[in-house]
Amino acid sequence: MSSWSNIGDQIRGFLHYDIDGPITGARSGGVERLQGLNETAGLPMRKVLAEPMFRISDLSLSCNRLRLTALCIFIFSLSGCAAMKSVPETAESFPSHREKEIERNKFPVARGEDVIGRLAVIRLEKGDTLPDIARHFSLGINAISAANPGVDVWVPEAGERILLPLSFILPDTPRKGIVVNLATMRLFQYKEDGASLLVTTYPIGVGTNERPTPTGRMHVARKAARPTWHVPASIAKDHRKKGDILPKAVPPGPENPLGEYALYLSKSGYLIHGTNKPASIGLTATNGCLRLYPENVKTLFDDTPVKTPVLIVNQPYLIGQRDGVLYLEAHTPMEGSGAHESENLYRKLRTIEKEARRTLDWKKVKEAQAEARGIPVPIFELIQGSEKEVAKPVEVEHPETLYGKPEIPALKLEAWYVLAGDVHDKIEAQRIAAIINHQGPPIPARVVSKSDSYLVVAGPFNDGSEAKKAAKRLKIDLEIDGIVIELLK
Amino acid sequence: MKKSLLLIAVMLVLPTLMISCATTGDLEKVQAQQKMSDAKAEQALKDAQAAKTAADAAKVNADAAKVNADAAKVKADETSVRAENAIKAAEERERIADEKAKKADEAFQKSMKK
Repeated sequence: MSSWSNIGDQIRGFLHYDIDGPITGARSGGVERLQGLNETAGLPMRKVLAEPMFRISDLSLSCNRLRLTALCIFIFSLSGCAAMKSVPETAESFPSHREKEIERNKFPVARGEDVIGRLAVIRLEKGDTLPDIARHFSLGINAISAANPGVDVWVPEAGERILLPLSFILPDTPRKGIVVNLATMRLFQYKEDGASLLVTTYPIGVGTNERPTPTGRMHVARKAARPTWHVPASIAKDHRKKGDILPKAVPPGPENPLGEYALYLSKSGYLIHGTNKPASIGLTATNGCLRLYPENVKTLFDDTPVKTPVLIVNQPYLIGQRDGVLYLEAHTPMEGSGAHESENLYRKLRTIEKEARRTLDWKKVKEAQAEARGIPVPIFELIQGSEKEVAKPVEVEHPETLYGKPEIPALKLEAWYVLAGDVHDKIEAQRIAAIINHQGPPIPARVVSKSDSYLVVAGPFNDGSEAKKAAKRLKIDLEIDGIVIELLK
Repeated sequence: MKKSLLLIAVMLVLPTLMISCATTGDLEKVQAQQKMSDAKAEQALKDAQAAKTAADAAKVNADAAKVNADAAKVKADETSVRAENAIKAAEERERIADEKAKKADEAFQKSMKK
């Protein structure tokens, strides 16, 4: 027993020694080492020397133990190395430093370069939705969804890291006036600033497949602040079918879908305007017009003189270079244009390959095309060794409040409400509430938990007519049969 | 004649005596053998009975084990069926949830039109 406890003490002593001082080698250091070990273990040296046989057997046993310990340390160090290997990768995807702000609209364009901006990541907080994040960072709902596949748009998990696709390849067009790329749902406004070129870019909402936005050259014919919306016959007919009778003209105000500013294009009937439905930016939801966030249309309105040329293109596959690296930004093509656009892309890439006299990584190209995440992906080194220059995404701090996030007033007694849903699944209830919140004009809604289900409650409304109007909108727009309720003290 | 008679008598008596003597010994022997065989038979019977009892008990045990095994198999089958059902139900729930999410998203996109 004593020898075993002694050996145990020696191992403990060895480990202690190992941690505190350098290892001098398992074979060297004979007596001194033993002395050290025994002293560490609290044994007098004399006792060790008086028992030579014990010491030898002790030493051989302890040698085995020491070897075992050394082996364990070696194995742990190996796994430690393996763990270390993964660190740079993690760091590459998610940078450790955070920035307070990131440029989202205005970028200088360097001569001969086609890529602007930089990618960023943000950590979501409780109650965030992707449309809220998108609006704050001047992105469309299409862009943020494509960049973050698999993330729930309405009920993402708190703490989840979201990629902000704030890097763009400029469309293959002359860099002049306003250029709109329908496939990426972004507008670019070029401005000369002395010798340099500046581009301001905004996300947009575009026409549906049934009523698409026309492509081609046109110009800004006139501008109007607080425009009146003259309801087109086709839209009036669509609304009538749903039981919604629209007036012939909608005056400026929260009910006006043109928002506060409009730029009328030379192609009759088509406008660049604001919206009363900000969550529609990044969707194919218009009748051919181009919609911008209210805050963006104001800037564009102020910066754009009448007669500014407007070029509308449809380029789902963009290639461009920055710092000697060729990038591909692939978006899901609009219906019917995929094959043609893909052919165009391959033709361009084959020309680049021929000029560079090097083979392109076609697998990478096809992967980027198939993923269609809408972010510039490096696919080729135009100057060898330049891929090191590829910028890493920057982490952005979550702002205290997200710009434009719908506000939900507190519940109060003596008010009217609309019961919009009673469901068993919490996430379903949260999704319904979020969708109602993002209507335009907004309808406040929240989830109230019951013992066995979750209620989606819209309100509070000041009077019965307001509540009934909200219930009607829920029915027409979202096909929700709401129940109007009045709470009394 | 007397002599002959005597001889005949002696010849009759002697074997009879001899036979009778042999019969007694034999009888004892036989009796002993009988006893032994009785004992053996009894033992064999007992053994047979014990064996039968053991066999019966083994059969009962085997039957019980079979019943247990059957019950265990039924239970395992039930558990497996229940697990499969649970997986199916979970998949169904997920499918329904996905469908609901898709429907909600479609309704949202429709609601964003003018």
